[in-house]
Amino acid sequence: MLYQESGHRTQVVTASSEAVRHGIGSGMALVEAQALLQSAVFLPHDADADRLALQTLASVCYRFSPQVGLEPTENTPTTHSLVLDITGCTHLFGGDSGLARQLVIELAELGYFAHVATANTIGAAWAIARYGHGAGSARRLKSLPVEALRIPEKLTTRLREFDLRTIGQLLALPQETLPSRFGKVLTERLDQMFGRRAELLIPLPRPEPVFAQWASDDPIGHPAAIRHVCADLLTEVLDTLKSRGEGLLRLTLTLDSESTAPATLDIGLAKPAESATHLLNLIQLKLEVTAVPEWLNAIRMEASVTAPLQTQQRNLFGLQESTDNGSVRRLVDRLTARLGRDSVVRPNLLPEAVPEQAVEFTPLAEIVSEARSAPAPAIASARPLILLPQPELIRVTFTAGDGTLESIRWNGCCYPVAHHTEPERIATAWWQETGSVRRDYCQVETQAGARFWIFRDGNGNWFLHGLFE
Amino acid sequence: MTNEENHPAESFAADCRAVAIQKLRTELGHLRRGQRQSVRANGVVSTGIAELDDILPDRGLLRGTLSEWIAAEHGSGSLTLVLRAASQAQCDGPLVVVDGLRCLYAPAMKAKGVRLEEMILVRPKSRTDGLWAVEQSLKCPGIGAVLFPVDDLKTQDFRRLQLAAESGTAIGILVRSMSAQKQRGWADLRILVTPIPSPARLFCRRLEVRCLHAKGTLTDKTVELDVCDETGAVCLAARLSDPATALRPPEAQINSVRAVSGVGPPNAGRHSVE
Repeated sequence: MLYQESGHRTQVVTASSEAVRHGIGSGMALVEAQALLQSAVFLPHDADADRLALQTLASVCYRFSPQVGLEPTENTPTTHSLVLDITGCTHLFGGDSGLARQLVIELAELGYFAHVATANTIGAAWAIARYGHGAGSARRLKSLPVEALRIPEKLTTRLREFDLRTIGQLLALPQETLPSRFGKVLTERLDQMFGRRAELLIPLPRPEPVFAQWASDDPIGHPAAIRHVCADLLTEVLDTLKSRGEGLLRLTLTLDSESTAPATLDIGLAKPAESATHLLNLIQLKLEVTAVPEWLNAIRMEASVTAPLQTQQRNLFGLQESTDNGSVRRLVDRLTARLGRDSVVRPNLLPEAVPEQAVEFTPLAEIVSEARSAPAPAIASARPLILLPQPELIRVTFTAGDGTLESIRWNGCCYPVAHHTEPERIATAWWQETGSVRRDYCQVETQAGARFWIFRDGNGNWFLHGLFE
Repeated sequence: MTNEENHPAESFAADCRAVAIQKLRTELGHLRRGQRQSVRANGVVSTGIAELDDILPDRGLLRGTLSEWIAAEHGSGSLTLVLRAASQAQCDGPLVVVDGLRCLYAPAMKAKGVRLEEMILVRPKSRTDGLWAVEQSLKCPGIGAVLFPVDDLKTQDFRRLQLAAESGTAIGILVRSMSAQKQRGWADLRILVTPIPSPARLFCRRLEVRCLHAKGTLTDKTVELDVCDETGAVCLAARLSDPATALRPPEAQINSVRAVSGVGPPNAGRHSVE
């Protein structure tokens, strides 16, 4: 529950849904709220911090629209919403719903649970996002409560005194009488919601790119010289960012040469960084494993992605911020810088039946937050710890009498079978993109005690797919 | 005469030497014990299996050391035991798995108790990169354990990893094949895992775990464990009596056992725990 001092009174600004269930609402005196729900957590409201956080989120939303602004605050003291003009952008994301879905996912990765709505006007989108769901049709808008009109709370209370609870009830009244009864604000908001009055979206200014460059007619080639130039450029970039209160999340280094094509190095970081030593080490590691031109005439260093330093962008392992966690993040940065993003990963389990499709790998450099990881699907049967990248063809012999498995031959060795499990059928539908799969798996234990995972495909061929190490 | 005179002096010198050597041995033993105790004070990570801890000199794996787990053959089950120990170490920090062959199967790792969300999987493209990643991870103070399946490891690379482990707090685990047993190593602990034929029970198998070498101590202990692949349960192997013997009349069994062991009546129960 957030509170703030207003004149001589301390009142609740925002309450959680659980607090609302206990009868607490915004505007209520803090003392009264504390009496109603003593177990709640009360924190002072910081409107500036909210605004700063929204501006940070706006930089994420530029991916979806060139025009991103904050919610207009003519009649409301605080702002809680971002407004995107998505005209002409939706087809790039699979329509309105596709764009909304991707935006929710993107914001969820940053740790925010977003309510997203698309509508023809700002007022309608705001109302649907907060009080409704689905498309912003006129019928749906009429069913929304009067609070969805972005009007002051006093006016809402007054409307309720007249038993005017929905927008539809307001529209049923003679419109010319509304200003004299309830003021101009109400008519204005109604007109804005239904597109009868224009409402301007004032876009936030996009931050200037931060970069530094070096150029010379005399090319350099010695690693120490390159490192020295990089150190100077890095200092310049970090100084600029420091003045903006930001840290580096991704650094792009372009190395130009007159004789060969330029090389580009991309260095991602696990959290906004401002340490020149750490960044210089990462650049050094990247230079060691990247083919750079022999002689360089120009070097350009750009802060491709930045974030406010006070923003906790990620917490890789759910640990409290500590020296150890910081050192782990630096380790991830170092490993990623030298081995590449795809080589430092986290496995995510998928609900797929085919073993090789049941896991995907997400680069750790792309994992922003821990809390949104989906629960892993349950594994019904035992699976081997070693899964061969490709199933390997084996020869299988059966006993003459009852036809049970007698031995398998793999990699030039014969393994007499002691016992095996009953077949486990793994099959996929024919319409799947990856093609139909039909395999009968079984675990085989050799007489020496080793355990293999083998299967027979639809053609009757036997393959070794895994080892129970 | 001269020989007779010299003999007591020589024997006295030899005695003094023997006493001095014995004294030095004792002091060295104290020193090593002191070192181990100071290391133990830093923390021992249990393997997650009490019976396996019992055969290890420190009753677990020491932080800042390397342990070498040798699989006697393919599909022997060594990785199952290793992952159990690694998951225990995840309480102290993330687990780094350097998988050069790209064949470790994450769903099975999860089933063995590894928390995937606290794991860094490194999939290097070359052996050099893999060694570098292991070295960096071992040095990092916040890491709980580093797991590296590797067969071919040169002595100088091994030494590099050992020094890196000593400078960090993680437990370093090397999973190796049988060929490694003939090579010299720098690991503090060398464990051999051998599968042995088990009773015909689905998803259950028996492993013999032998502590071949532990730095600073003389140890050669063995334990037999039953591992259930489906539930992940590990317990001390139960010795079943020979089914053929069990089916014979009780008198015949008693006579048979007396004949073999030369002692009194055998245990009444069928299950005798080793």
